[in-house]
Amino acid sequence: MLLLSALACTAVLSSLVVLLTRDNFYASMFMSATMIMVATIYALFDLQPVFVLIVFIFVGALGMVTVALAATYRFAPERQISWLWALPVVITAFILAFSVYAAQLAPLGKIQFALQRFITSEYLLLIIFLTSLTVLLLLSVLKMGLKYKDNEGEES
Amino acid sequence: MHATDISIIYVASFAILLIGYLTAISSKDVIRLLISLELMFGAVFMSLIPLFSAISNAAFGIAILTIFTSSGELLVLIYAIIMLDRQKKNIYTSSVTIGGDR
Repeated sequence: MLLLSALACTAVLSSLVVLLTRDNFYASMFMSATMIMVATIYALFDLQPVFVLIVFIFVGALGMVTVALAATYRFAPERQISWLWALPVVITAFILAFSVYAAQLAPLGKIQFALQRFITSEYLLLIIFLTSLTVLLLLSVLKMGLKYKDNEGEES
Repeated sequence: MHATDISIIYVASFAILLIGYLTAISSKDVIRLLISLELMFGAVFMSLIPLFSAISNAAFGIAILTIFTSSGELLVLIYAIIMLDRQKKNIYTSSVTIGGDR
């Protein structure tokens, strides 16, 4: 339960950073971090196939395209939060959290799901290769963002 | 799966969903809108976890369907962002006020 709470808190905090950050580039990076945390919660419940799908599609493919788009269309960062709308959102969050607390949810059975021969040695190797590729992509995108920042500093 | 675990998952998923809504409402450019949509889909995936406890095979099918449908939808939005930039020469949400009138 402690690990689940830590992962859920990290996911919520990184999504909060998405809201509060001024720069779209960092917002997309933290969005990818949120998706990784959501996928890790799946892995925590032994649902590795879904973890692989979310990480490869939402972080590896779409996340990278979003980060690249944010890095391409980069302009002067400005605060993008509507404080007027924050109040109804906080009230809704409070009502939802209270209703979950008051509902006294019945415990469910243990999650028992396994794909037949999902993790074979070849498949594991493929997963390691694809993960390395995703990390490499992430590093190159980060480098692209830092390069832009350096150029901006030289100009000013 | 304990009731506390289910509560943590639901509360976190609602929180991410609401943050996604707030990001979408306050976004000034379409890239922030794309990021907020991805956050909302993340919240939806998170709320699917308890379903695996009751009907695991059907839940896996639903998860696959959701992942591919949402990723297709996001790809269409990415294409729309590029088209918007080509036509309007900017990506601000304020320039998408005309709709289908013109």
